[in-house]
Amino acid sequence: MESGRKRPARTKASRLQRANYKWIYLFLLPTVIIFAMFYVVPIVEVFVTSFTQWDGFNAPRFNGIRNYINLFNSHSFLTSLKNLFWWCVIAMTLHVGFGTLVAFVLFHRPRGWKVTRAVFMIPNVISAAAWAMIYRFIFNDDIGILNSLIRLINPDFSVDWFYVSPWAFWSVTFTWLFYAVIVTLIVLGDLLNIPQELTEAARIDGATGWQLIRYIHLPLCRTAIGTSIICSLTSRIAMYEQIALTTAGGPDYETVSLPILLVNAITDYRYGYANAVGVLMFLFGLVILWLVNRLFRMDETDY
Amino acid sequence: MNTVKKTATQAFMYLVELVVILLSVFPILWVVMSAFKTNGEILSSPLALPTSFSLDTFVYLFETYNFPVYFLNSLLAAGVSTLVSLLFYAMGAYVIAKFEFPGRKLLFILFTITLLVPGHSKSQPIFSLVSDLGLFDSIWGVTLVYLSAGMAMSIFVLKAGFMAIPKSLDEAAIIDGAGFMRTFWSINLPLAKSALSTAGILMFLGNWNEYYFASLLTHSDSQRTLPIALSFFTSEFSYNYTNLFAALTIVILPGIVLYVFAQEQVQASVAATGIKG
Repeated sequence: MESGRKRPARTKASRLQRANYKWIYLFLLPTVIIFAMFYVVPIVEVFVTSFTQWDGFNAPRFNGIRNYINLFNSHSFLTSLKNLFWWCVIAMTLHVGFGTLVAFVLFHRPRGWKVTRAVFMIPNVISAAAWAMIYRFIFNDDIGILNSLIRLINPDFSVDWFYVSPWAFWSVTFTWLFYAVIVTLIVLGDLLNIPQELTEAARIDGATGWQLIRYIHLPLCRTAIGTSIICSLTSRIAMYEQIALTTAGGPDYETVSLPILLVNAITDYRYGYANAVGVLMFLFGLVILWLVNRLFRMDETDY
Repeated sequence: MNTVKKTATQAFMYLVELVVILLSVFPILWVVMSAFKTNGEILSSPLALPTSFSLDTFVYLFETYNFPVYFLNSLLAAGVSTLVSLLFYAMGAYVIAKFEFPGRKLLFILFTITLLVPGHSKSQPIFSLVSDLGLFDSIWGVTLVYLSAGMAMSIFVLKAGFMAIPKSLDEAAIIDGAGFMRTFWSINLPLAKSALSTAGILMFLGNWNEYYFASLLTHSDSQRTLPIALSFFTSEFSYNYTNLFAALTIVILPGIVLYVFAQEQVQASVAATGIKG
């Protein structure tokens, strides 16, 4: 009886929906067009033409994995891989570590925690290009903050941070190293979601503040830290402005990244080569996603 | 013993807060401050406070260079792309949130997974596409590319927004004779206001600040957005630091102002979607 009463309602609803199909597909159309135009077609094009020699004027000529062989034989590409590796290591440890530390501090709500959280976001709402320029001046030898401060102690000090080895690498690293507000916000969100009873129960069992952090809070924001690492590492793959507008990859490729190589190849009209770099960027992203997911057991829930 | 430990913890927490605030605010304050100093002052005492607060440099920049044009270009590219794509993604997210149809889950996954595609990797095809459309070196080409920028985040945020609106409201509207379009436009869209503003603000900020594609797709001075213009100033002004810092101030201030007004939304949505940075 009950199901008998429900059934006509359901068929009516679905009839209503079938009449709506026209509208449904019409509403999806713009998004689908943008998706096809800016994601599907470009990605297919990048993959296919990465196996060709192509200058953009003549038709692409299939040349197998020549582009990839050339890449792995070039000094600039190997250096960019080395840089990417170290930047990833630094991002996973210092960058995410600092962001998590700030999240734990803010979680305990010291005075001014809201202001700190709000202010931490500011470097992220500014154009990455402008931020790179700001750091170019901070590390400038003549007028920069850093050298002005050092000269208070040692008046003869002079280093052009962005232009000499090995400081260039560290200067580029510094432009993002401590700006980990995304990490802080993600981890803080997870911390605030931990059921109050859990913390209370641990307290009653005699857990001290440090033990509470080590054995309860830190393991419970595992997923948030994993997400932060994915966000942070994908940004490392895509580093462009903070390099292009400071060191441009120099000195001697010491700060080169994959996007820098890609743009250089495009301006040289080596489209096939550029797209091979694009394919590798894409693959590295997938590998990172998969690895971090496995490492942090992100598909399992705790409560 | 216990109080010593407690004070130490407190002190440590304040120290972390101080470091965060210094790192985030000091560079910007320094830039704004330097915009009010003369070139001589910047060179001789980079850390000193400015001696006067005249707006001459800003007036000079706006009068001598194409700053109004750059500003309008930025506003046009970011504003138009945000409004249009917000409408498009709201339409898409609405049907995904509210209706059953074949391919619904798949489309949602496909749209949101675009977050993981590195924008730079598609440079060449997008460059060719814009050139083929005859929009190379035009602010409209940049605007077109920006349409696609916030797809994953917007669909994600907007779908959640529409799902939070009770279905009984739609049913009531339909009984009252409202069609599909009216149910969407007059009932759902106004109620999804907070999701719409969140997605809109994030897309606008992202597009306002975008540098890479704007630099790839434009060439002439009249089509430049503010961040692109800024990068050209470095070579043009070379050692006129006052002008440079003033130009930097002009570029960074609008984003900060927008953020101050929409702080909560920006923070909440960044935490939810983990984008940028």
